Amino acid sequence: MDLQNTSLTGLRQLLDSRSISAPELADAYLDRIRTVDDTLLSYITVTPEEARAQAQKAQARIDAGNAAPLTGIPLAIKDNLCTDGVRTTCSSRMLEDFVPPYDATVVEKLKAQDFVMLGKASMDEFAMGGSNQTSAFAKTRNPYDTSCVPGGSSGGSAAAVSAGLCAAALGSDTGGSIRQPAAFCGVTGLKPTYGRVSRYGLVAFASSLDQIGPIAHSARDCGILLSAIAGQDPRDATSAAQPVPDFNEKVGKSLKGMKIALPKEFYGEAVDDEVKEAVLAAAKTYASMGAELVDCSISTLKYAVAAYYLIASAEAASNLSRFDGIKYGLRGEGKTFDQMIRDSRSRGFGDEVKRRILLGNYALSSGYYDAYYRKALALKQEFIQEYDRIFQTADIILTPTAPTVAYPIGQQDQDPVKMYTADICTVTVNIASLPAISTPCGYNKAGMPIGMSLIGRRFDEATLIQAADAFEQGFTVIPAKPEGGAAK
Amino acid sequence: MDKTTLAHLCELSKLDYPEDQQDAVIAQMDDIIALMDTVKEYDVTYDDTRDHNEIPYEALREDEAQPSFDTARLQQNTQPRDDCYVVPKMME
Repeated sequence: MDLQNTSLTGLRQLLDSRSISAPELADAYLDRIRTVDDTLLSYITVTPEEARAQAQKAQARIDAGNAAPLTGIPLAIKDNLCTDGVRTTCSSRMLEDFVPPYDATVVEKLKAQDFVMLGKASMDEFAMGGSNQTSAFAKTRNPYDTSCVPGGSSGGSAAAVSAGLCAAALGSDTGGSIRQPAAFCGVTGLKPTYGRVSRYGLVAFASSLDQIGPIAHSARDCGILLSAIAGQDPRDATSAAQPVPDFNEKVGKSLKGMKIALPKEFYGEAVDDEVKEAVLAAAKTYASMGAELVDCSISTLKYAVAAYYLIASAEAASNLSRFDGIKYGLRGEGKTFDQMIRDSRSRGFGDEVKRRILLGNYALSSGYYDAYYRKALALKQEFIQEYDRIFQTADIILTPTAPTVAYPIGQQDQDPVKMYTADICTVTVNIASLPAISTPCGYNKAGMPIGMSLIGRRFDEATLIQAADAFEQGFTVIPAKPEGGAAK
Repeated sequence: MDKTTLAHLCELSKLDYPEDQQDAVIAQMDDIIALMDTVKEYDVTYDDTRDHNEIPYEALREDEAQPSFDTARLQQNTQPRDDCYVVPKMME
């Protein structure tokens, strides 16, 4: 079985027709993880015993004739989503031995369908990073070239999908953490509208920006997974009271007359020529399908990275203040209470997490609050207004997902500013609470994947899936070849 | 940023940096803050009446008494003594 080229609907048919059993399918993925993941390091924790037990339960449901769309489907879960009884580390020494006593709502919803959890996917520490190299445990490699980063922070989830180490995966996206690794690893990632998916059980990074979403082989697969996890949750006051539609309801419908906006600032000098060419070629493909291309502008884009990092770091400084080593997490040494907390945090957090906590407290501290944090909030209002204006005349917006393709491991580790500015194409979507999907639209001369992003109106994920799917139907994916162990 | 500011931020953040790392941290923070300074170029003031609020977030649910988590399971993530979280003395 070609695990790198199998859709969720394809697996559903195989399971329902008894061409393969759920335990056999789980074992096929577990075998491939054993073969390939020593090199890729996409998982922090693999859970074979749990997977086999869940697969047996799923098979009983299939045999009873009442399978749900994800019954028996093997998935990976990002390691910042709480899983009852299964270690959840956030790729941090701070939570190295943390075993949650409850499931995140999204995991609970997947369990209600009897999915199969293969394990917990690696990530940047506390989701802070775009390379997966800030992980304290598994610095994931790119399946297309193992000398390159997979992107981040959901780099483990994206690499695992790309390499066929799971059928699909859950990630989380605070400033591009689903879309950018999906682009780097040649797969599809969907960041839902803020409020579409419950954040209960997601270890918080920046609560006004965080959102959980799917990474899969196609937009249609993302739609299936999003349908399973979306909906209001009484345990998350920021989950929206919006109806949950069939997210694939528009798939296959004509794009004739759809207006696609191209903001000129996303196609400037900061973006590699090969990336620009691939995305603009995709725009032409859309035009050939009957869509109308519309020029537009987001004049505030140059302030986006700073505004994002001020808001996200301020919220992170507050959220991560809970890690004091007392009730859970790494316990440090100290003769006094204060010394013990400082030692716990200094030893438990990695360099990037510490930088963001410092920045957040700087932006929130007396004398700087108005100049930085409130100014960033004012810019947030400007971004929302700019997007609302564009959506008065356009249905979706087309941009590159990242300014470059995946870069060599180590290239940006020591330069935080370079790392932050690379987020320019993705952060405004989170600031404005919008949904966006990244899907492959080409490969550069070295064969590395290029991703394009489609941004939509709030709660209109169905149109994004429709448009991404229409492109995917005519696009030939070149699968990664992660086997062999050596860098390409 | 100078060492006094770093010490103040470390106090707010409950973090410590060894003396031999502090110059490097200050240099990185200076670069990061220079990037953050770009927001000062844009002339706009935060107006909380403009906040985006047509989406009905924060609809509070009714209070409902529910069983809490099992104490023994919660304490598996630490080393309790006699069912207590033991910490160094707080009073000097």
